[in-house]
Amino acid sequence: MDFTHTWLPFIYLYGFGGVLFILGVIITLKAGSFNLKRKAHKKWMWVLLFGFVWYMMMHALLIWAALEMISVYTVPIVLLGLVVVFVVVTLMLRKMERA
Amino acid sequence: MQTFHSIGTSTDWIVMVVYFIVIMLFGSNFGRYTKNTSDFFFGGRRFSWWLITMSIVATGVGSHSFVKYSAKGFEHGISSTMTYLNDWFFIPFFMFGWLPIIVYSKIRSIPEYFEKRFSPSARFLATILLLLYMIGYIGIGFLTLGKAVIPMLPEAFTILGMTFPITLMGAIIIIAIITGVYITFGGQTAVIFTDLLQGFILLFAGFLLFFFGITYLGGFDLFWNLLPAEWKLPLADFNQPANFNFVGIFWQDAIAGSIGFLFMNQGLIMRFMACKNVNEGRKAAAINILFVLPISAIVVGNAGWIGKAISVVSPDIVSPSVSPDQIFVVVANIIASPGMFGFIMAALTAALMSTVDTLINATAAIYINDVYRPVRKFLKKKAVSNTENDRRELGVARYASVGVTALGVLAVLAFKNFPTVYEAHGYFHSTLTPPLVVGIFLGVFWKRFTPSAVITTFVGGVALMILGARSPGIFIAPFDHGIEMNPDHPYSYIRALYNTLVCTGAAVLVTITTKWQRQLISTIRNNQNGKTIINAIVIITISVFSIVLFNISGMSFQVLSAILVIMFVPLLVTYFVPYDEKINTSGLTAGSINIARKLFKGGEPNDQEGEKVLVQLEAVGGDGNVVRFSNKDMEDMKAVPGDLVYISDKRKWMGGLKSIHAVFGPPHDEIGKVYITADQIKHGLFVPGKILEAEKEM
Repeated sequence: MDFTHTWLPFIYLYGFGGVLFILGVIITLKAGSFNLKRKAHKKWMWVLLFGFVWYMMMHALLIWAALEMISVYTVPIVLLGLVVVFVVVTLMLRKMERA
Repeated sequence: MQTFHSIGTSTDWIVMVVYFIVIMLFGSNFGRYTKNTSDFFFGGRRFSWWLITMSIVATGVGSHSFVKYSAKGFEHGISSTMTYLNDWFFIPFFMFGWLPIIVYSKIRSIPEYFEKRFSPSARFLATILLLLYMIGYIGIGFLTLGKAVIPMLPEAFTILGMTFPITLMGAIIIIAIITGVYITFGGQTAVIFTDLLQGFILLFAGFLLFFFGITYLGGFDLFWNLLPAEWKLPLADFNQPANFNFVGIFWQDAIAGSIGFLFMNQGLIMRFMACKNVNEGRKAAAINILFVLPISAIVVGNAGWIGKAISVVSPDIVSPSVSPDQIFVVVANIIASPGMFGFIMAALTAALMSTVDTLINATAAIYINDVYRPVRKFLKKKAVSNTENDRRELGVARYASVGVTALGVLAVLAFKNFPTVYEAHGYFHSTLTPPLVVGIFLGVFWKRFTPSAVITTFVGGVALMILGARSPGIFIAPFDHGIEMNPDHPYSYIRALYNTLVCTGAAVLVTITTKWQRQLISTIRNNQNGKTIINAIVIITISVFSIVLFNISGMSFQVLSAILVIMFVPLLVTYFVPYDEKINTSGLTAGSINIARKLFKGGEPNDQEGEKVLVQLEAVGGDGNVVRFSNKDMEDMKAVPGDLVYISDKRKWMGGLKSIHAVFGPPHDEIGKVYITADQIKHGLFVPGKILEAEKEM
């Protein structure tokens, strides 16, 4: 299948989107409204980074599935695995926040 | 193109009518919690994140409707969902910039932010642009609703021997009347709870449809293998076709649309403002975008994918030439049994109504805050008591809801000639969001951004946007990324890039030349003919803007006129609008959120992390906003008198419906008791004997 229909949109989306996302993190950190000295905000940093990887993985897996490089059933399995990682790490961070 | 009428059976209609009656009774029931305008518009700032997340589902799913995503799913496959999966990029800006600002600055509408951050004139222009945006959005909602129900209606009906054709506009008017009923009498609490119920029903109905579809086709493997390879890709082709390409939709939706949705959609903002605090708002946003939107993408798009698969295997059942906007109804009718089809259609129309009612409520909020109150202030109407004032405003808010509904119906006329709702919505977003998006975004994140710059963005940016709309082949083509121009609807999506760039360009140019503008205005002020010079600039500016607006003269002269607008507007704003950067940015930019928190509390925030405590209420006399806890309970909460406290019914499933915000008063000695006034008990809807949970806010 044509590159313009498979990976070019992906690269454009996460290239431009990634720059905007990183800028958002840097600008809010510099402004002080996002403050990693606060425990609650550390947890938010994890959520932000997870969200970016979560969507990038989702799109990449769907493209691979469409190209028949992986089974379409792999997509929900990997995504469920990511959800488990998200829940476990978030709970661990909450525990650390309370300790 | 094949179109349908009279789809469905009488059983389906009975199910739909029963569904709507239940939903309206459910919504009206929560109308009793509306005591004042704060409750009407913001639900009293009391709710938990999960309740807001679910209520956003109905709004989000409705606005990105079943109809338009099924249509694109049928035409282009899984990539119809791509606009649901591109909202994460701006989330840091929203969570740690805009959300705390709107909560802590206690603004009630987006234009109010423009007045505080810039000037009343900026608020005036923002109000016009925002009202256009909101009413246009309501129009899109009504159009989608009309297109969804038309296939179920006959082509005409006969009464007393007279035949009346059923038209799209006729159906929309009837829908608008039904939609207006509970929003007018219920308010935001009614909307939140109705949407909560509908959020669950929508997800259920969407998955039910997917399940029926897969079963109809003979299993998931068969469904997947029937789809052409291009239909399985999650992102559209980079730059073709003109009516559905990745790069255009990226700029229209992922950039302008995402900022527009998160930063200037008053309906969504009001949901976040109904959260009990900023952190709950962040949770609601994160869970919604991370998990609920991908699920919603399947819910809204699957009818189109199923329709495509059926059209491949049985083109006699679903013809490839079915009108895309009707595919959802056609597929649902084929794969669901009578009654179940009625339920699915009821869920679809209810979803759209959720979006529309949220927008109507939000637009009424803008009317009260940014038109009614300023006009009353301007006319110096005599002051009345707070209670009387609130009663009056609640009445006006309800009339405003009716007026906004009527304008929404009129707005349909602007969009009904687009081939699909998707393209109408894309064009609308690309055209109306950029000036406000740039204004809000730079206002929040760039302290140097001035009233001159924001007003020039609104006026000069719009002038350049008009030129782009008039001659897309000249102005938008250089940014088209190879997208072919459709002469009927040129650059429906990629025009967002051009519009955003010209607005940003005007904003940045004016901001970085602020010093020169001030010097020039200072020179003019010191000139004995200063006033004459300014009057001349005013006349020239109005004239050149009119040349662009009314398409007078040739294109090159219009370009020159737009440049003159961008040069003169900042000078006039600098001359007429007083602005103190220190005062106007304090607590209103991302760099000053700690000041905003201090202003919100009325003192230094207490960030010591304490525990939640369980208490019984003890009614005491007095009024005001103070509650008193025991020394021990305050110690556990790490609270001191003057801190802010949130008290809610202990039952988590209530989601904060029964709750209040208050201020800690001096402590007492009765552990496990909170001294609270009769007014607070009434406002919090507390029931004596029920256990309450208290937590320090800051």
